[in-house]
Amino acid sequence: MTAARLLRHETILAVLTIIALAVLASMSDKFFTPENLLNQGRLMAEVGLVALAMTFVIVTGGIDLSVGSILGLTAILLGVFWKNLGLPLPAAILLAVICGTFAGWINGFIITRFNVPPLIATLATLALYRGLAEGISEARSVRGYPEWFFFFGQGEILGVPFQLWLLGIAVVISGVILGLTPFGRATYAIGANETAARFSGIRVNSTKLWIYTAAGFCSALAAVIFVSRVTTTRSDMGTGLELDVITGVVLGGTSIFGGRGTIIGTVLGLVLIQALKNGLALSGVKGDGTIVVIGLVLIGAILVGALFDRNRGG
Amino acid sequence: MKKLTLAAIVGFGLMSGSALAASAWTGGDDQPTNPLSCDATPAAAAAKPYDGGVPTNAPDRNGKKITVVDVPKLIGIGYFNATSKGIADAAAELGNVDAKTDGPTKANIDEQITFIDNYITSGVDGILFAANDPVAIAPVLKKALEKGINVVGYDANSTPDARQWFVNQAEFNGIAKSLVDSMAAEVGGEGGVAIVTSTFTTPNQARWIAEMAAYAEKCHPKLKWLETVEAQEDNNLSFNQATTLINKYGDDLKGIFGMTSVATPASAEAVTQANKCGSIAVVGLATPNAMKPYVEKGCVKSVVLWNPVDLGYAAMMVLRSVADGTLQPGATSVKAGKLGDLQVINGSEILLGAPYVFNKDNIGQFDF
Amino acid sequence: MMAIAASPGRTNLQRFLSGYGQEIVVLLSIVALFVVVGAINPRFLSNTNINSIFAGNAYIAIAAIGMSMIIIAGHIDVSVGALIGVIATIAGTLAVNGYPIWMAWTVPILFAVAVNAGVGALVAYTRIPSIVVTLGMLSILKGGLISITAGKWITNMPPEFMIAQMRPFGIPSAVYFMVALTIIAALFMRYTDFGRAIYAVGGNIEAARAAGINPERTVVGVFALHGLFAGIAGILFATQLQVIQSTVPPNLELTVITASVIGGVSILGGTGTVIGSTLAAILFACIGSALIFLNVSAYWLRAVLGLMILATVLADMARRRRAT
Repeated sequence: MTAARLLRHETILAVLTIIALAVLASMSDKFFTPENLLNQGRLMAEVGLVALAMTFVIVTGGIDLSVGSILGLTAILLGVFWKNLGLPLPAAILLAVICGTFAGWINGFIITRFNVPPLIATLATLALYRGLAEGISEARSVRGYPEWFFFFGQGEILGVPFQLWLLGIAVVISGVILGLTPFGRATYAIGANETAARFSGIRVNSTKLWIYTAAGFCSALAAVIFVSRVTTTRSDMGTGLELDVITGVVLGGTSIFGGRGTIIGTVLGLVLIQALKNGLALSGVKGDGTIVVIGLVLIGAILVGALFDRNRGG
Repeated sequence: MKKLTLAAIVGFGLMSGSALAASAWTGGDDQPTNPLSCDATPAAAAAKPYDGGVPTNAPDRNGKKITVVDVPKLIGIGYFNATSKGIADAAAELGNVDAKTDGPTKANIDEQITFIDNYITSGVDGILFAANDPVAIAPVLKKALEKGINVVGYDANSTPDARQWFVNQAEFNGIAKSLVDSMAAEVGGEGGVAIVTSTFTTPNQARWIAEMAAYAEKCHPKLKWLETVEAQEDNNLSFNQATTLINKYGDDLKGIFGMTSVATPASAEAVTQANKCGSIAVVGLATPNAMKPYVEKGCVKSVVLWNPVDLGYAAMMVLRSVADGTLQPGATSVKAGKLGDLQVINGSEILLGAPYVFNKDNIGQFDF
Repeated sequence: MMAIAASPGRTNLQRFLSGYGQEIVVLLSIVALFVVVGAINPRFLSNTNINSIFAGNAYIAIAAIGMSMIIIAGHIDVSVGALIGVIATIAGTLAVNGYPIWMAWTVPILFAVAVNAGVGALVAYTRIPSIVVTLGMLSILKGGLISITAGKWITNMPPEFMIAQMRPFGIPSAVYFMVALTIIAALFMRYTDFGRAIYAVGGNIEAARAAGINPERTVVGVFALHGLFAGIAGILFATQLQVIQSTVPPNLELTVITASVIGGVSILGGTGTVIGSTLAAILFACIGSALIFLNVSAYWLRAVLGLMILATVLADMARRRRAT
C-alpha cells in the first residue's frame, strides 16, 4: 500500500474541509476569527483526544464503544477521590486517570484473553462503566474545585487554550507512532489480516492490549479536561461521546474493517465536523438542521472517496 | 453462566437491600431542605441582597431592537415547546425583540454549553437558558456576561453569579408541598407511594424529591416511600417502569408520583392498562393536554404544574426589562406584561407564582 | 457453529446443542431468572407481570430479528432507533388526520422498507461500510424528525388504531406478533434460498458469489427485510401508549444490537439465529424487571446490567472454546 493511495481520501477530505471553511467564512464574518477558531479548538479537544486513540483501535479492525463511559467513570472517581476520600487534588487526578486507563486495559484484556469481539466486549463495558459511575456517585455531583484546577479546561498558554496544546502534542505523538514506528506497522498489519500478522511474528495480543489501554488513557485525560472546563462532575458526562468520536474517525477515512486510516485523516474529519457545527450555527442554521447536514456530509464524503477509488481502478 | 448470573443477582440483591433500609428517598440530592409548614401558612420571605451577576460594559439597549436566543435543556419536548411559545409571544408583543429557540436534542450539558458558546460568538444581545446543570453551565454564562450580554434563566437555575436574574416557576418546597398534599388527600393520608423520575442527575427533579421527602416526613409521616425508578424522558420506558412497580407491589402501592411531563402521563397509562384506576393514585408534574384523557376519565384527580407558556413569557419580559435598564439589582418586583407585577425573591429570582393544580373542572380551559 | 454445518457422526442431541448452544444458554438464563426471582418475590411470576414484560418489550425483540439478519449478512445498522421513532410519528400523524387505519399501519412500514432498501443499495453498490451509512442516516432521521415535528406529541389517536393494546384471548397482541414473526423468520432463514444466501454472504462474500449468489441483491434485500421488521416494531411501539412523542427513543439502537449479539449472532457475520435474538430481548426485559423486583439499588442498576451482559458474553466464549 503506497503513501499516495493511503492519502487519497485525506486529500479529498482536505479539499472538502477547505471548501467548507471558505463557504462558512463567507456566510458569517464571525467565523474565521482567531478568537472563534481557538475557542472551537477548545471545544473539540476532548472528542479529539479520544478520536486519536480510536483511530488506532479502528485501524486494528476493532471498535471501542465504552470511551464515553470511561470518561464518565474517570470524572466521578476524580471527584470521589478528592471530596469523599479527602485525597489532595493532584493525587486524585492521577489516581482517577490510572483507573480510567485500567478500565481501557480491562477492555483489551477481555478482547484478547477471551477472544470476545470488540463490539460486544465494549458494549458490555459501556453499560458496566456507566453503571459504576452512577452507583459510586449515587448520581450526586461533586463541585467546588479549587481555582488552579480550572487551568486545564479554561486556561491558556501564549494565547492558545491549554487543551489545544495537549491535543497538538497528542496528534504529533500518535501520528508518529502510527505512521513511522514498528508499532504503527503492526497496527496496520493486524487490521489488514490478523492471522497473517500473527504468523509473521507480530505480537498481536500485546499490541491490541496497548491500544485499548491507550484508549482508556485518552478518555481519562479527556475526563480531566472536561471536568476542569465545566467545573463540576456528573455521572452522565460523556454520554454518546462514542458516536461523535467514531463519526470523526470514519469521516477521516479510517476503514471500519481495519487496515487503513491515518491520524491526519482523523484530524481533518474532526475539524470538518467542528467547523460545520460552529459555522452553521453562526450563519443562523439551527441545531437540528446541523445534525442533518453532518449526516449528509458523512455519507457524501465517504461516497466520493469510494467512487474516486473505483475510478482509479481500486 | 447460570452460576455467575445467580451470584450477581443474589449478591447485588442482598447488598442493595441492606443499603436501602437506612437511606432517604432515592433520587433526592443532598442539599439542605426547607419544608413548608403543613397548613397553608406562607413561608416568611427573608430579604436577601441581590446576588446575581452584572454584564461588563453592556451597551445601552434601552428601547432598541435586540436579538435574543433561548437555549432550553433540550428541544423537541412538549414542555420546552410551550416555554418557547411563551417567549415568541412576548417577543411579538414587545415588537422590538428578535427571539429564537435553539438547543441540543438531548439533555446534555456539553452540547448545551457549545450552543451557548456559538451564540455568544455570533453576537446576540440576550441569552435565555434553562440549565442542564447549574454549575457546568456557569463558566460559559460568565463569559456571556463578560461580553456585555444580558443573561436570564428560567425553569432550571445556574449558580446565581453566572446570570443576572432567574425566573422561578415555583419554589421547590412549594412544588413538593403541592404534590405530597395532593397525594395524601387522594390516598387518605397513608399507604405506599413510588416515584417515576427522569434521571437521578437531573437537578430540578432531585431537588423536588429531596423536598418531598422532607415535607412528607414532617406533615404526612404515614405516607411510606417504596421506591424511585429512573425512566429518562422516554414514554415507553416510563410506562414499563410504572407497570413493573404496579406488578411488584400489588395492593401495597397506593400512589405513583410522576416527576416529569413524560413520566406522569405514562404512569397514568400504566395504571389505566392495569385496571387500577381508583386504587392507585397518580399525582405528578405534567402538561394538561397529555393528561386530559386520564383526568376526564377520573383516573387522575390532580396534576400539578405552572403554566410553561407563562414561564417563557415572563422570562422574555424580564430580559427586556434588564436590557432596558428598568430592572435593576435591589428591585422588589418587575412588570411582566399581561402577567402584571411579579415578586422578587431570594435576592435575584423572580417568582412566577404558586404551582397550579389542574383537576377535572378546570383542565379543559388549558391548551398546551 | 450453525446447525446446517454440523458434521455427521454426532448424535442428534449433540448436533442440536452445538447448533443452538447460545440460544440454550439464554433460555436457561431466563428460566433461572424466573425461578430465583419468583422464589424471592412470587409476584414476579404473576400473569400480569409476565404479560407486561413480554408485551412491553416485544417491539425490541421484533426489531432485533431484522437486526440479526443484518448482522448475519455481515453488516450493522445503528439508525434503527431513529427509524422506529420516524415510523411511529408517521403512523400517528396518519391516524389522527383521518386516514384509514390500514393506511396508518402499512404506509409507515412501506416507508421503512423503502428507506432501508436505499441504505442497502448504498451499502451494496458503493461499498461504503454500513456503519458509516447508518451513522449518517441516524443524524439525518433524528435531525429531520425534530426539524419537522418540533417534538409535538401526537394524542387522541382512534382506539381501533391501537393494535398493540388489543388482547385476543387475554394475551397482548404484541406477543403474538413477536412469536409469529420469530418463527416465520427462523423458518425463512433456515429453509429458503434467500435465507441461506444471507448466511453465505455474511460468511464469505466471494464464496457466495462463486456459488451463484448475487451478494449485492442479497444485501439490498436483507436491508429491506430489516426495514419491514423495524416497521412492524415501530407500529407496535407507536400503538402501545396513548401518546407518541415524535422523537427518537434514546439508546434504542444499542438495546437492539445488544439483544442480537447476546442472542448469539456473531458480529463477524455468517452465524447466529433469530430465535437467539428474540430470547435475548426477552432476557433483557426480564433482567430489567427482575432488578426492580429484587430491590437492587436504583443507582447500581446499570452496573448490574453491564455485569450480566459481560457474564453472558464470557459464558458464551467459554462454551465455544469447549465446543471446538
